[in-house]
Amino acid sequence: MTVTAPAHAPAPPTAPARRSGFRSAAVTAALLAPAGVTIVALVLVPLALVVRDSFATADPYGGIQGGFTLANYQQLLDPVYLKVFGYSLGMAALNTVVCLFLGYVVSYYLAGRPPQRQGLLLLLIIVPFWTDFLVRTFAWINLLSPGGPVNTLTDALGLTDGPTRWIPSQGASFVGLVYAFLPTAIFPVYASLRGVDPALGEAARDLGCGWWRVHTKVLLPLARPGLLAAALLTFVPTLGVFVIPVLLGGGKHELVGNLIVTLYTEFRNQPMGAAASVVLLTLMIVSLAVFGTAAGRLRRKAS
Amino acid sequence: MKSAVKSLPDRATGWLARAVIVFLYVPIVVVVVLSFNGSDVTYKWAGFSTRWYGVLADDTDLLSALRISAEVGVASATLATAGGLLAAMGMARLGRRFRVAFSGGLFLPLVIPEIVLGVALLAVFGTLRADLGLTTLVLGHLVVTLPYAALIVLGAHGALDPALDEAAADLGCNAWQGFRRVTLPLLRQALVAAWLLCFTISFGNIVMSTFTSGVGTTTLPLRVYSLLKGGLTPEINALGTLLVLFTFLIVLGAGLRQMRRILVGGDRTPG
Repeated sequence: MTVTAPAHAPAPPTAPARRSGFRSAAVTAALLAPAGVTIVALVLVPLALVVRDSFATADPYGGIQGGFTLANYQQLLDPVYLKVFGYSLGMAALNTVVCLFLGYVVSYYLAGRPPQRQGLLLLLIIVPFWTDFLVRTFAWINLLSPGGPVNTLTDALGLTDGPTRWIPSQGASFVGLVYAFLPTAIFPVYASLRGVDPALGEAARDLGCGWWRVHTKVLLPLARPGLLAAALLTFVPTLGVFVIPVLLGGGKHELVGNLIVTLYTEFRNQPMGAAASVVLLTLMIVSLAVFGTAAGRLRRKAS
Repeated sequence: MKSAVKSLPDRATGWLARAVIVFLYVPIVVVVVLSFNGSDVTYKWAGFSTRWYGVLADDTDLLSALRISAEVGVASATLATAGGLLAAMGMARLGRRFRVAFSGGLFLPLVIPEIVLGVALLAVFGTLRADLGLTTLVLGHLVVTLPYAALIVLGAHGALDPALDEAAADLGCNAWQGFRRVTLPLLRQALVAAWLLCFTISFGNIVMSTFTSGVGTTTLPLRVYSLLKGGLTPEINALGTLLVLFTFLIVLGAGLRQMRRILVGGDRTPG
């Protein structure tokens, strides 16, 4: 940089340039070091250790003994665990579909408002997004308790008769999941829809497209990058949830997150817990790869 | 301009969208209302009362958990914001290819399920035979918050005119003075937003804390989670109400413009 070179005596350009190039590289390295070390030491190395642990045998206390075995993965093929994986994938898929659908509906509505209203409405979605996760979960215990607000309402409507037990249940757990992930899903879809020129939809209408075709042929393809991002932020993260199935689902129907916590904290079987974590990690890598190729294809199509 | 008559499907989806926004608020409003319930059970209304806030203020267990959470939040938010700022400044000096590679690593924790990150850190702490406590909690929360801090600061730093550095240098500032007098003041808003959001993320974190907290360092969410396993009490609703209020303050403090930039990117207005 020019600061280091003396202003009054211009030196031959090569030598100071090389020296300042070296200094500049050292400064860059020093600036990147704290974040870089954090990622390497607290993310990459730990992940490598989990992969190693997942192939290790357990000592009598459930700790890591070392060695190499596939037993941990074989044990995960037990029907009890397979059921957890199957159930989790189903719940995550359903949650993703519902969040994407509602996310699209809300984003379409938002994008059609005047700019100032959009800011206000967006704020209405930002606040629940940042509200404490546990508060948003236990809020549903209030709502769904026998004799609680929802029950009072259904009683008044004649749908139920007296206190009804909705919680704990799989349904309550699912509502909790949708509620937890919905704001997360709205943002990327809205981000991709709000840049769309409203004239596009009108042009399609003028050319004879009905409401349905305006959406499926024009708007949905434009929203696809946002929908893909929303799916990425919903699907695998849902698998790793453990608080909601315990508090709203009564802990009977577990997600992979519950399985991992149970293996680590209750069964104290670390190698198996590591194996379950590696499976979750693999699912994430697979969905990232799918996301990457799909996004790449969209970009090529666009250009 | 706009078509005067809205089609029926447009009106129907409009109502569905409004219903979804209401759906986002009903549970939060119910927590707030029921926190002022004088009754011993959460759902039976027995008149307005603030007694549960009194009970909350006397709950030493919850208060000590609150202190742990505040300490961990301040420490991890500060480390994450500082790390994010340095990384943003360093990345601006990298070539395109290295920048993409570095940001790939930096944002990795955003896409890996948090529970896997927690398990992974536990493996490291186990290998090192480190005692779980405040330090491990802060390190765990640093992993979770650093990508968010970097995201916010990077966005703001990228929007700065690179000529500013040169202008400062031409006016006789050395690198440190240029940073102190030009870069830092311009990034102040983003840094405040990053810190506040990192603090919020750390403060509400439960997944990472499950794996990195030790005996005597139970955070507020962990404490509340174990209380909730025994059932919901009006006292927890009172605590929830305070946390909702806290969210409002954080969102206001960070500023709506920053929030928009972080969550939906850019300041473009629809054409």
